[in-house]
Amino acid sequence: MSKLTTGSFSIEDLESVQITINNIVGAAKEAAEEKGKELVKAGPTLLPGLESYRDDWNFKLLDRYEPVITPMCDQCCYCTYGPCDLSGNKRGACGIDMMGHNGREFFLRVITGTACHAAHGRHLLDHLIETFGEDLPLNLGQSNVLTPNITISTGLSPKTLGEVKPAMEYVEDQLTQLLATVHAGQESAEIDYDSKALFSGSLDHVGMEISDIVQVTAYDFPRADPEAPLVEIGMGTIDKSKPFLCVIGHNVAGVTYMMDYMEDNNLTDKMEIAGLCCTAIDLTRYKEADRRPPYAKVIGSMAKELKVIRSGMPDVIVVDEQCVRGDIVPEAQKLMIPVIASNPKIMYGLPNKTDADVDETIEELKSGKIPGCVMLDYDKLGELCIKLTMEMGPIRDASGITAIPTDEEFKNWVTKCADCGACMIACPEELDIPEAMGFAKEGDYSYLEKLHDQCIGCRRCEQVCKKEIPILNIIEKASQKQISEEKGLMRAGRGQVSDAEIRAEGLNLVMGTTPGIIAIIGCPNYPEGTKDVYYIAEEFLKRNFIVVTTGCGAMDIGMFKDEDGKTLYERFPGGFECGGLANIGSCVSNAHITGAAEKVAAIFAQRTLEGNLAEIADYILNRVGACGLAWGAFSQKASSIGTGCNILGIPAVLGPHSSKYRRALIAKTYEEDKWKVYDARNGQEMAIPPAPEFLLTTAETWQEAIPMMAKACIRVSDNSMGRSIKLTHWMELHRKYLGAEPEDWWKFVRNEADLPLATREALLKKLETEHGWEIDWKRRKVISGPKIKFDVSAQPTNLKRLCKEA
Amino acid sequence: MVDTTKNTKVFTSYGVNTSKTLTPEMAAKLISKAKRPLLMVGTLTLEPEMLDRVVKISKAANLPIAATGSSMAVLADKDVDAKYINAHMLGFYLTDPSWPGLDGNGNYDMVIVIGFKKYYINQVLSAAKNFSNLKTIAIERGYIQNSTMSFGNLSKADHIAALDEVIDLL
Repeated sequence: MSKLTTGSFSIEDLESVQITINNIVGAAKEAAEEKGKELVKAGPTLLPGLESYRDDWNFKLLDRYEPVITPMCDQCCYCTYGPCDLSGNKRGACGIDMMGHNGREFFLRVITGTACHAAHGRHLLDHLIETFGEDLPLNLGQSNVLTPNITISTGLSPKTLGEVKPAMEYVEDQLTQLLATVHAGQESAEIDYDSKALFSGSLDHVGMEISDIVQVTAYDFPRADPEAPLVEIGMGTIDKSKPFLCVIGHNVAGVTYMMDYMEDNNLTDKMEIAGLCCTAIDLTRYKEADRRPPYAKVIGSMAKELKVIRSGMPDVIVVDEQCVRGDIVPEAQKLMIPVIASNPKIMYGLPNKTDADVDETIEELKSGKIPGCVMLDYDKLGELCIKLTMEMGPIRDASGITAIPTDEEFKNWVTKCADCGACMIACPEELDIPEAMGFAKEGDYSYLEKLHDQCIGCRRCEQVCKKEIPILNIIEKASQKQISEEKGLMRAGRGQVSDAEIRAEGLNLVMGTTPGIIAIIGCPNYPEGTKDVYYIAEEFLKRNFIVVTTGCGAMDIGMFKDEDGKTLYERFPGGFECGGLANIGSCVSNAHITGAAEKVAAIFAQRTLEGNLAEIADYILNRVGACGLAWGAFSQKASSIGTGCNILGIPAVLGPHSSKYRRALIAKTYEEDKWKVYDARNGQEMAIPPAPEFLLTTAETWQEAIPMMAKACIRVSDNSMGRSIKLTHWMELHRKYLGAEPEDWWKFVRNEADLPLATREALLKKLETEHGWEIDWKRRKVISGPKIKFDVSAQPTNLKRLCKEA
Repeated sequence: MVDTTKNTKVFTSYGVNTSKTLTPEMAAKLISKAKRPLLMVGTLTLEPEMLDRVVKISKAANLPIAATGSSMAVLADKDVDAKYINAHMLGFYLTDPSWPGLDGNGNYDMVIVIGFKKYYINQVLSAAKNFSNLKTIAIERGYIQNSTMSFGNLSKADHIAALDEVIDLL
């Protein structure tokens, strides 16, 4: 048989019969491999496999940034040999030790996250090709480099929806290989699980990139638009005099049919549509390329899911996939809110009404005969959800159903509290609920109200309360005023950073005169409440860092206002520029954040992207001052996003809960051998400062995270002005939030010009008296002392093969 | 009669090792006896009642302080030997025998932890529990299962009272 890739063929003997083959498994990858051979310039790792990055790059990273394993429990319960007690790094019956097992646990989270985004991308890609055809050109704004992550991994630069298919197939192929390694009796070395996790992280950014570029293209999302519209956000923005459709999840495909139905039937001002989690971000991007006035709203992050349901506000709830609570059906059922499952990944055991008549299904849902249903036909889904919302609105309004207690019920519940403390032990945030209840008994509700923003709405407290007090409802009741005032603005997700923006900022970033890129991403499992991320964003914006955001983090920083009533999105421009606050978009838009760093290497420094991950990552690690913040990371996806940043040399600070991921990457700042690179001009070793000192770690408070992140933006390549600017910010922030000067500031000083301008004299004095450096006081110059030298033309690299002598 | 009630160890290889519970008296004794102790302090120390006890413990037993999180903000002017370090980093460095310590004199033989959310310090200490011989003593309000020894779960008032007892005995 002839070797077909894609297309059609006919069999001559059978008249008038044509067999059309849309896709041959493996054919797209084969075509990609063929195309790779045609590339004039390409790095050594086109279509990499499990082993490809291991020795050349990952092990170099892991040698400096050592895996820090913090096991969650003593046992491994993975196969039927066990359970085995691995405490004290013992080996289990299968032979794996505690280190290896926990490396596997972390790795499992990373590939789960990668699979989630890849499956999301596959769903969107197939659906959009079916709807718009393979030839729809990718349209992402003013850029030539459209798909840096895809290009690095596969060598491909797709220009149409159809051309994205080989990259998708490649990711799926590798994910199967990766998943196989968690089987008992497969990989057992912790360090190799780390290398595989890093590889999976790189694939995750390919999967995310696919998801976002196809939806930006087909759904008319803003295209690298710094002036994307401002969207209303917060529980207080919902007009409850109108029927309210609440959508929850991450995959916007089904929701576009609902919005189309609303628009076709002139209902956009007669009902509310608003979302939780990334579906909310993406529904507010729908058809916003031309900046039309938005009507869809964002309620907030995943932490608000149960709170919104308990408020009784939604008349219909639609779920799609990812980060959707498992108790939505029973919770909604209590309040007569029908739940529609619109994606086969979450079907909740509900009856499948995909083939049923829409009006008959509406009657069944309205009557409460069924608590919800599965609906996978998107045309029907649009009609069903909107019609149902319009009908349920008045019905539910008339019955006034809410879980929030009346004043009298509230007082009765509060009185019942026995102060046993079980709720506090059960609370994942360790909130002092007993104390707040105690004050409430005395008529002071302010302590309960304070819990509202810190509470992640998980209801673990309710399940252990011996008095069966509905604690979440009590907190929400005490916070009604605060909730009604929860009204903010978020800039609709703008999509990727344009080539022009990279050209304008590239030099500043590499020289350090733009002090850094701060990427605030991820979920709402914050240690102290949503305002943490607002404070962090504001501090860095005021200091002229470039702040980029995505996902729940992007939402939460829009929830708060300054004394003039303005949100950060109104106060700061939406461009990828100094002092800019660029909301890139939903979780899958995170690929554009790594993409921006990759584009600095590709566009500004003219490095080859194709099959060249190690060189690109090496460039970013040594020259692009960027640091991620996943302050409330709870999900497996957050671990894969972060790990995808890590392989590219981008460090990330996580909140304290993320210690439960079990694995960090931290360098030993005291081991001088670890802090050397090669100068690519001659292959000679050069000493570098200990920065960044981690690739993945946690901070305990937002006040600690701020100086950590400022410090993590210091890079080898900073020129003196850049280093001086970065030291100024870090040292000021350290003093501001940690009450004292940092101990190790002098390690980053190469000469007097590196010192912060305002304190130069005093710091020179300290270098002389405390560190024994020799200073020429007439010329205000350092004569001797620094362990690291400054050479403006040095070309730092961790890859010996890139050196001239090599 | 045969005593059938004695050995209740589960006859399989699995189990969960949790920390032994600790009285204020034992805590004071262990702290006093340690050769090279370190007081690891978290951000809950920002509460004035806690701060007061942390400072007193440090001074009474002459303990150097690893000020983690943002606890340094309140410890900087308290005339104690406190240095900032990130808790997760410290948790890692404590497992390395060649770590020079906060003062350059080498690693520690005992770490006393106070002022943390339970979930965080439990994770941070699990590195030391599994990959080192370090002794860790938790004098927290909550029971820290991954430390070597720990107070049980206490009310706020009982916790402060227990800390006062420790201080009196140092």
